Amino acid sequence: MRLILLAIIAMSFPAMAREDMPAKAWLENMSQALREQEFKISLIQLQADHIRPLVYIHGKVNDEEVAFLEHLNGPPKNAVRVGNTVTFIEHDQPAYSVHSNRIQGVIPAAFADDISKLETGYQFVLGGRSRIAGRPGQLVRIIPTDDNRYGYQVWLDMDTYLPLRFDMISGDKQLLEQLLVVELLVLDEVPAILKEAYKQEWPPVLSQSDREGGEDWQFSWLPAGFKVLIKDQHRLIGSKEAVEYIAISDGLANISVYVAKAGEAPLPEELVTRNGLSLATERVGNAEVVAVGKVPAETLSRIAKSIMLQ
Amino acid sequence: MDKLGQEWVSAAVDGEIDEHTLAELVADADSHEQWRDYHMIGDAMRGELSKTVSLDLSASIMAAIDEEPAIVAPKPTTVAKESNSGATGKVIPLFKQFGQYAIAATVAMVAVVGVQNYNQDSLVDNSPLPVLNTRPLIGSASPVSLQTGAVQQSQSYTNDQMADQRRRINAYIQDHMLQQRLNNGVNIDDNSEVDTTPVAQ
Repeated sequence: MRLILLAIIAMSFPAMAREDMPAKAWLENMSQALREQEFKISLIQLQADHIRPLVYIHGKVNDEEVAFLEHLNGPPKNAVRVGNTVTFIEHDQPAYSVHSNRIQGVIPAAFADDISKLETGYQFVLGGRSRIAGRPGQLVRIIPTDDNRYGYQVWLDMDTYLPLRFDMISGDKQLLEQLLVVELLVLDEVPAILKEAYKQEWPPVLSQSDREGGEDWQFSWLPAGFKVLIKDQHRLIGSKEAVEYIAISDGLANISVYVAKAGEAPLPEELVTRNGLSLATERVGNAEVVAVGKVPAETLSRIAKSIMLQ
Repeated sequence: MDKLGQEWVSAAVDGEIDEHTLAELVADADSHEQWRDYHMIGDAMRGELSKTVSLDLSASIMAAIDEEPAIVAPKPTTVAKESNSGATGKVIPLFKQFGQYAIAATVAMVAVVGVQNYNQDSLVDNSPLPVLNTRPLIGSASPVSLQTGAVQQSQSYTNDQMADQRRRINAYIQDHMLQQRLNNGVNIDDNSEVDTTPVAQ
């Protein structure tokens, strides 16, 4: 009897390999797939009352990653990535290139990066399976370890490990943002558009050398896993107002902290847009600290209060 | 009939019936047991019961007790408690553990069911109209020109102040969005000079 059982277990082992795979391994496979596979995904991005259809094509030309992102509705808005350079081609301004290893704004850059970096702030838990874009998908929950950030859930294609659906969820389980793949095509060869993009001459990368001179700002408190990415002084893109700028991130959630001269009308203390982007303001004398990011407004408030000059 | 039958048997045991009735009794298989019992009772009253018979009785009584269900069950544990407290010490934690597992499993079930329900709800919400179920609006809505949905203000100011405020909120949000593009090339690991251990509140 025992022998029969053992035989059954031994025989079913190959089939169970995927069943036994821990959540983190699923995410690591996704990260590898996003970097190495050649595919085209059509997806929609749902944010509050906005729906954006997009196409994302990824492949490798001469061993360099090439990717193309196109907004299908409205004025042309595309991004091209060749190697570590991303060029944004938008209707309202001349094309510009930045140094980046992912096209920012659709699939979180952290998903193609080292998954271990997220472990301080999030836990990975396997969920159920469901059919998305006509393919079987495995749910992986990315659960925040505290309520200072939002949670995420991602459904991965069971064949290719590419993401099929991505949800951002608030603490009270409200859906804040969703990416939904409607078609996933695994490509056999590099599509012509990527070959074309690789050959194309793109604008030179914006000089980042002027990103210096930030004061030595410190935080007496930051949620676990958040680190300071960059500090500088620059002028706001819209109002040309001079600000001290600090970028902090836990990998998935990115927060910008600004210190500037307070305006005439005080900014709201806390403000929440319906896609989860929040803004918090703390007034210190005639200066104001503004924190912006896709985390709960309470977290931003606390961060804005805990900033100090060393 | 039954009563009558018993009387017959009793009389037959005592040898007080005629041959015809005895023949009838022999034919009546149901009464054979009673026949035996009456003889046994008679033997017992006369003190003539053989040892084998009494053994047989006690065995059948034991068998009957063994077959007796349920009510007997708690007894052995109380006996065990009185006789051997060491053994019970082992038994009880084991049962407690099982209880805890069961509770944990139940909680997990509830959690899973709850989340799945939520998912279904959100799917149902989203399927007819692609409008997301999001935070309620507070105060008057003043849309930000950037694609970030409506922005709310809790206080009212003059139009100029409102415009100024809105412009500055826009500027910060736009700058934040732009920074996402610019900062992406920065490696997190290179800038970890800030101690991120939370300060006790």
